[in-house]
Amino acid sequence: MSFPQVPVFDLRLDEDDVQAVLDVLRSGWLTLGPRTAEFERAFADHLGARHAVAVSSCTAALHLAYLAAGIGPGDEVIVPAMTFAATAAAVVYCGATPVFAEIGDDLALDPEDVARRITDRTKAVCVVHFAGYPARVRELRALCDAHGLALVEDVAHAPCAGVDGRALGTFGLAGAFSFFSNKVLACGEGGLLATDDDDVAALTRNLRSQGMTSGTWSRHTGETETYDAVGLGFNYRIDEPRAALLLSRLAKLPSGVERRRALTRAYRERLRRVPGVIVPYDDAAVDHSTCYVLPILLEDATRRDPVRRALREGGVQTSVFYPAVHEFTAYRERFGTPSLPRTEYVARAEITLPLYRDMDEALIDRVVGALAEALR
Amino acid sequence: MSWEIPLTDIVFDEDDLAAVGDCLRSGWLTMGPRTKAFEAAVAADRGRRHAVAVSSGTAALHLTCAALELGAGDEVIVPSFTFLASVNAPRYVGATPVLCDVVSPHAPLIDVEDVRARITPRTRAVIAVHMLGYPAAMGELRALCAEHGLTLIEDAAQGFGVDAPHGDVACLSFFSKKQLAIGEGGMVLTDDERVAERVRLLRSHAMTSGTWDRHTGHQASYDVVGFGFNFRLDEPRAALGLARLPKVPAEIEHRRAMVRAYRERLGAFAMFDEDAVERASHFAYTVLFEDVETRKRVRDALADARIQTTRYPAVHRLTEFARYATALPHSEAAADRHLALPLSAHTTLEQVERVSAVVRAAAAGPS
Repeated sequence: MSFPQVPVFDLRLDEDDVQAVLDVLRSGWLTLGPRTAEFERAFADHLGARHAVAVSSCTAALHLAYLAAGIGPGDEVIVPAMTFAATAAAVVYCGATPVFAEIGDDLALDPEDVARRITDRTKAVCVVHFAGYPARVRELRALCDAHGLALVEDVAHAPCAGVDGRALGTFGLAGAFSFFSNKVLACGEGGLLATDDDDVAALTRNLRSQGMTSGTWSRHTGETETYDAVGLGFNYRIDEPRAALLLSRLAKLPSGVERRRALTRAYRERLRRVPGVIVPYDDAAVDHSTCYVLPILLEDATRRDPVRRALREGGVQTSVFYPAVHEFTAYRERFGTPSLPRTEYVARAEITLPLYRDMDEALIDRVVGALAEALR
Repeated sequence: MSWEIPLTDIVFDEDDLAAVGDCLRSGWLTMGPRTKAFEAAVAADRGRRHAVAVSSGTAALHLTCAALELGAGDEVIVPSFTFLASVNAPRYVGATPVLCDVVSPHAPLIDVEDVRARITPRTRAVIAVHMLGYPAAMGELRALCAEHGLTLIEDAAQGFGVDAPHGDVACLSFFSKKQLAIGEGGMVLTDDERVAERVRLLRSHAMTSGTWDRHTGHQASYDVVGFGFNFRLDEPRAALGLARLPKVPAEIEHRRAMVRAYRERLGAFAMFDEDAVERASHFAYTVLFEDVETRKRVRDALADARIQTTRYPAVHRLTEFARYATALPHSEAAADRHLALPLSAHTTLEQVERVSAVVRAAAAGPS
């Protein structure tokens, strides 16, 4: 086992974040209660959404979003293959078929390709705001409206980004957020579904806790004696310590994102001078992104794995965002392999460089220097 | 409403808090060394070869059914007097739950003879629930399952620490009311390496490597070889579980002592026998009344005295599960006539005395 000198992500919590969690533990109340409600209100306000429902993961939020969209057996949901597997797996949970569409230069769904893949069975489209950069969500919304499809946003990368002042995650039926430990807003395992639709919010609240008509907190407070259950629900609850951590971290989210943008600009300046490297997005896009990760593409994809190995040997950890979902064994076996040349190129050529709030320009120099050396 | 005596109470020690604080300060929150250590500690404590930490008891049951490759056309026998997640577990994988009855309202645990009567050629597994922390008849169930080639799954969500022979797979819950409470969490225990590997794979999207493996340089990328879930635990909860685990035996003994104290005072309403009390891990303390009216009267009197109680419904009488209802008279009687009184690792004799006095007075008749 060896730890990288420069990890691909590094989470540092402040002492007041730690104390917020310890205060909850001292209170002895751990299950869904006042802190979760407070975090949900704060996050809804942060987005400008009517409802925010905290859940156990972004995967859970996607599953509930698809269920709220009425997705079931025989239906198709158009998703990118350039994403984490959960975007497509949650479609499979509903008994439906993920249909993979091609990406554009922004590494997110290409609306023209989505339009070509709509069939009589299509029920929804899920857009991923890749790396925290806004996808072409207005065009996708118009396309979905024209065809009577639900738009779901996978906002795992983008808890603090928007288009024309409107937060990502509020353009469709529901937005699914992730608070996994390497995310911009992190608590360990956690997620959230945002929606303006009262029925979607009510269904989500019901199904996240076993379809039960009352929770432990409302029984504790004497509102209800026992419960009924309606629907096939799940345990998709978050708990109070994680809600308290998120609430403490949420206040620091805008400044954390500003810091990521500054680091991203510093990277872009240096990467421009490295031959053989393509840096996606333009400088202006950085201002509207959460800058969750820093993806680069190698012109020559065959050099990707050796370059990553050389970086690792030099103490620099990198990642791949992402291996293409349609090329995974499980998906090939069940759904065949559609041709998605741009996605496949990105899956082979992409390197995700270290990016986290507490890194500095000297580290960026080191990473870019090592990259240039590896490519020489 | 603020209860003078709540149903349950959780108190963490300073070293529990320190364990969580250290984990948070380390900055590593996703499954890693603490989760591994927690799994190893529970496996050793429970005498099982494999332990896989997951996000909840529900997830443990779901992944167990998935790992056993139960699916459409398969039947799983499960008692109706349980928490509904026991019944949803087979449904998640497309299998059919077949509800069976419990032994009696006084001992509302899975009835082995009723299980036997409900076995068909499609039956694949039995879920034995250690309801309220009392051990199911594992010896008889093992013999029955062996005879019919069925897998025996223990739903030990309420039964962490019961003294009973093992089934093939046990599912634990670390929900906040449980004997080992960390908020949300669960675990799958088994001696079957294949089941453990499958659960491990499916809890994290059937990915062939994890974030920790990639951080430590063991893996550069991953494949996805099945349709898994995000049912991971995280490190702060694993750290809390690890800190709490050594304290649980003494806390269960305290619960047992309080149960004995209750039984001395409320013998007329006692459930289970003395042997069961000795082998139980005492998730909850319940009493049984002769009819629904008495139970309601006692519950109201306790609420007036600001003493919190609860009761557990029979699953087949919940709207969602009506389609699985058959004749289950003991489950219905148990659900209708029982009441759970305050019990935790911090219940005091004074509290037992006070609760018991209210119960006795209210049960004697309308005031």
